[in-house]
Amino acid sequence: MEQLAQHFVNALILGGTYALLGIGLTMIFGIMGVVNFTHGELYTFGAYMMFAFVMLLGLNFFASIAVAILLGVALGALIDFTLLRPLRGADIDTTMLVMIGAWIALQNAEQFVWSGIAKSVDTPFPSEPLVIGSVSVAWIRVFVFVAAIALIAATYLLINRTKLGKAMRATFQDPETAALMGIRVQRIYTTTFALGSGLAAAAGALLGPIFVVTPTMGDLAALKAFAIVILGGLGNIVGATIGGFVLAFIEELGAGYISSGYRDAMGFLVIIVILLLRPQGLFAQKERVG
Amino acid sequence: MIKQTFRISGVLAALTLSFGAASAQDTIKIGVTEPLTGAVAASGNYVTQGAKIAADELNAGKGVLGKKVELIIEDNKSNPKEAVATAEKLIISDKVPVLMGAWSSTYTLAVMPKLMEYGVPMVVETSSSGKITTSGNPWIFRISPTSEMEAKAFGDKVAPFGIKKADFLAVNNDWGLGAAQEFSKMLKSKGIEVGVIETMDAKATDMSAQLAKIKASGGDTLFLTTGVEQITLVLKQAKEQQLPQKIITTGGSSSPDQLIKQAGDAANGSYHLLFFAPWFPETAPNPDIATKFVEEWKKRDYNFAGLTEGFRGYDGIMTIAAGIEGAGKADPKAIQQALWNVKVHGVNGDISFIKQGPKGKESGQNIPNVFVVTIKDGKVSKF
Amino acid sequence: MKYAPAALVVLFLASVPLWLGNLYYLHILITTGIFIIAAMSLNLLLGYTGQLSLGHVAFFGIGAYASALVSIGFDLHITDNYTYVLEPKPIWFAALCGIVAAGICGWLIGKIAFKVRGAYFVITTISFAEVVRLLSLNWLDLTEGPMALNNIPPLSITIPGVIDFTFWSKESNYYVVLIVAVICFILIRRIVHSRAGRAMIALRENEPLAMSVGIDVTRYLVLAAVISAAMAGAAGVLYTHYVRIVDPDIFLFIYTVTMVIMVVTGGKGTLAGPVVGGLIFGILPEVLREYAEPEIQWMIYGALMILVVFWLPQGIVPAVSELWQRVTTRGSPAVETGAAQTGQGSRA
Repeated sequence: MEQLAQHFVNALILGGTYALLGIGLTMIFGIMGVVNFTHGELYTFGAYMMFAFVMLLGLNFFASIAVAILLGVALGALIDFTLLRPLRGADIDTTMLVMIGAWIALQNAEQFVWSGIAKSVDTPFPSEPLVIGSVSVAWIRVFVFVAAIALIAATYLLINRTKLGKAMRATFQDPETAALMGIRVQRIYTTTFALGSGLAAAAGALLGPIFVVTPTMGDLAALKAFAIVILGGLGNIVGATIGGFVLAFIEELGAGYISSGYRDAMGFLVIIVILLLRPQGLFAQKERVG
Repeated sequence: MIKQTFRISGVLAALTLSFGAASAQDTIKIGVTEPLTGAVAASGNYVTQGAKIAADELNAGKGVLGKKVELIIEDNKSNPKEAVATAEKLIISDKVPVLMGAWSSTYTLAVMPKLMEYGVPMVVETSSSGKITTSGNPWIFRISPTSEMEAKAFGDKVAPFGIKKADFLAVNNDWGLGAAQEFSKMLKSKGIEVGVIETMDAKATDMSAQLAKIKASGGDTLFLTTGVEQITLVLKQAKEQQLPQKIITTGGSSSPDQLIKQAGDAANGSYHLLFFAPWFPETAPNPDIATKFVEEWKKRDYNFAGLTEGFRGYDGIMTIAAGIEGAGKADPKAIQQALWNVKVHGVNGDISFIKQGPKGKESGQNIPNVFVVTIKDGKVSKF
Repeated sequence: MKYAPAALVVLFLASVPLWLGNLYYLHILITTGIFIIAAMSLNLLLGYTGQLSLGHVAFFGIGAYASALVSIGFDLHITDNYTYVLEPKPIWFAALCGIVAAGICGWLIGKIAFKVRGAYFVITTISFAEVVRLLSLNWLDLTEGPMALNNIPPLSITIPGVIDFTFWSKESNYYVVLIVAVICFILIRRIVHSRAGRAMIALRENEPLAMSVGIDVTRYLVLAAVISAAMAGAAGVLYTHYVRIVDPDIFLFIYTVTMVIMVVTGGKGTLAGPVVGGLIFGILPEVLREYAEPEIQWMIYGALMILVVFWLPQGIVPAVSELWQRVTTRGSPAVETGAAQTGQGSRA
C-alpha cells in the first residue's frame, strides 16, 4: 500500500512535465496542423541549456530555467521563420518531412557539441528528500511539480484571458475568417510555434536536472507528447493537461505493478487502443483550444 | 535508365578513387573497437584513453618489432550490431592482425563469430560473461575477470559486511544478468539469503519502480551492476526513496570519483568492487607501473574518475604488444600462438593466460585481482 | 527493346563482384541493396498511396526476427508447466515465416491505421513500431533482448539431390540481394501499372473523389500495406541472414527515417527514386566516413532533406528526368511537370 502512495506521488510529478510537453505540441499541432518532429529536440535543448548555464557558466539555477525557456521560445520562432513560413499551405507530408530533416540536423548538432556522454546538472536543493509517512520525494521534484503547474496555469491564462490567446483561438477555429477579421495570421503561427517550443524546452529544463542530459532524450519525450495529444484531442489544451497526467499514471502504475521494462510502452499501447476505439481523443467534445 | 547507369558507375568510381591512399606499411596496426557513443560511452572513452597512453609509451620507446604502433579506433556505438560492423571493417578494410574490444560482453559475444571466420585474435579487456571463454573460440584472450571470478574473489571479503539478505539490480544484458547470477550463487553458498533480482534497460533513466520493489523486499544490501552513468541515477534515486539497503557495485565500471561528483552525498556509504584502485597505486601488485600510469593520465588532464577503467585499455594494448613481439611478425595466426606465452606486468597485476573452455578450442583467460573501496564523506577510502 | 537500358544496368550491377576486389565495399553494396529493397517497399505506401507510414522499420525488423527465430529455434515459457519449443527449421521456411509475419502485420496496420488519416495515421504507425521495439527489448525469453540473437545461420538453398549451397561468401549474398531487388522492382512496377496501382494513385491524388467513383479505398490501402510490409520483411530476412545477428536496435526510428530520406530525396512515387536515393544514402556514409564525424554527416543529411523538399520537391529522379526531357526535346512545351506524379510518366 505504501508503494501505491509513492507511485501516486511519482506519477503526479511526472504528469506535470508531461502536461507541459503535451500542451506545447497540441498547440502547434492543433493550430498549425504541423506534425512537429522537432518538439523532442526543443526538450533536449532546454535540458542542455540548463547544463550550459548551471554547470559551465555557474549561473543561478532558477535564472537558468527562465533563460532556457526564453531561448527555447527563440529557437522555436527561428525554426518557424526559416522552415515553416515558406511552406505555409503546403501539404502535411511536405512539412512533416522538413520537420524530420530539422530534427535530425538538430539532434546531431547537439551530439556534436556536447558529445554522447550523459551530463548531470547540479541542483540547489538538499539531497535529503522530503519524507511524509512512507512517501519520500526529492525536493527538486517538488519544485518541478510546482513550476510545471505554474507554467500550465500561465499558458491557460494566456490562451483564455489575453488578446493574443483570443487571436490564437480564432485562428485555430478558422484561419481565413480570422485573417479577414484583421488577425495577423502569420504572426500568430510563429508565436504559437515559439510558445509551444518554449513549453517543450521548459519540460526539458525541469526534467534534465532530475535525471541526466543526453542527446537522444528527446526522442522518447516527443513520442510521448504525441500520445498525450491523441489522448487529449488535437488542439485541446485542457485535454492535453489531463492527458499528461493520465499517461504518467498509466506509466507509473504499469511499471510498478505490471512490468518495469515496459514502462515506456504503456503510452504507445494507450495510443493504439484509443485510436482504435475513439479516434478523436478522449476529450473531443469539449471546446477546442482552451 | 541510362542516367542511373552513369550515376551508379560514377559513385562507384568515386568510391574506388577516394580510397586510393594506402597506409604506410611501416606501422604495426592494432584494431580497437569500443563504445565511444551511446549508453556506455563514458567507459568506452576511458578504456580508449588508456590504450592511447600505452601506444604512446611504446612508441616513445623502441616500438613493437622496431616499428611504430598505430591504433585504429572504431566506435561500436554501445551496440552489438555495430560491434560486428566495426570488427569487420577493421579486419577487412584496415587489415589489422589483432584487435582489442569490445567492452560489453554482449558486443564481444557478437564479434566472436567474425574472429573465427577471419582467423584474427582479440584481447578482451572488460567483458565478464563466462560464455566468452567457454564457447570454444581459440581467438579470444581475456584479461578481465569473469563475473564468477569476481564473485569468488569478493566471497573472501564478504564476511565483514554482515549481509543477511541481498537484493540485486542489474542492467539487462549478459554482463548484468551474469553478475547477478554468479554473485547470488556465491552468496547462497555462504548461507546468505537472496531477495529480489530486478533488471533495467541500459538506457533507462527512471528506476523508481524497481527501487520501490527493492525497498519493500526486506533486504539489507543491494548489489548493483551497470555502467557509471546508470549507477549515478540509481544512487540518487535510492536516496530519494530512502532505500535502507547499503549499495555494493560490481563489475569495476563504477568510477567512484565520477559518482562523487555527479551523485553528491547520495554516493556516501556505497561500496565498489574494482580491478584497480588509482588512489593508492602503491598497493597495486606492480606499484611502479601503476604509479607511472596514473601520473601519465593526470599529465594528459584526463578525467581522474576514468582511471578505474582506463587501465584496461593500457593493459590490453601492452598484452597485445607482447604478443606481437613474441610472434615476430604482424600476422594473426602467429600472434594468436604467441599470446599463450606472454607474461606482462600490467597495472592490475601480472597478466598471463590459462586455457579455458572445451578441449582443443580453448580461449585464454587471465586471473586478475579485485579491490574493494568505499565512499565516505565525499572521498574514496580503502575498505 | 525498351527493357534494354534496364537490362544493361542489371548486367553492370551483376558484374561488380568480379572487378571490385575489396570485400568491404562489397559489404557496403550488400547492405545498401537491402536498404533499397526496404525503401522501394516504403515507396509503395508513401509514394504511390500517399500514406506517410513512419513505422516501416517495424516490418523490416519483424521479418528479421521472425526468420532468425525460426531458423535458430526457440523455447517459449508460456506457463510454469508448459514450454513451447520450436526446433530450428530450414532457412527457406524461416524466410517464408519472416515475410508472412511482416505481411500479417502490414494487414493489421492497414486495417487499424486506415481508420484514421493524416497526422493520426502517422502517430499510430510510429507508436506501433515503438511498441514492437520495446517488446523485442523486454521479452527476453523470446528475443534475448539487448543480448541479441546471435549465430543466425546464413541463407542456403537445399534441394535434395539437386543443389546444396550455403551463402557464406559475400559474393553469393550480393547476388541474392541483387536478384531479390530486381524481383521486387519488377513486382512494384507491375502493381503500379495495374488497375490496383491506378486506384492507389487516384487515392493519393484525391481520396474523396476516388471514393466517389466507387474505388474501394480501404481495400487498396490494405493491399498496398500488405505488399509493402511483406517486401520490407523480405529485406529484413536478407539482412538477418547476412549480418547473422539481430538486436532490438533494428527497430529504432532512425532507420525508418533513413528509408524516408532515401525515398523522398530519390523521388517518391517514382520507380527509380528509392533506388537512386538508396544508392546515395547507402554509399555516402561510407565515403564520408574518413572525412566527417557521423554527427556531421547526419546534420548534412538532415539539411539535404530540407533542401530537397524546398527546391526539388519531387525528388532527384523526377528533377533529372525533367531536365533530360527539356534537353532532348529542346524546350518543347509538351513536357508535363506533373508527369512524374502519375504512374504513367515515371521512367523505369
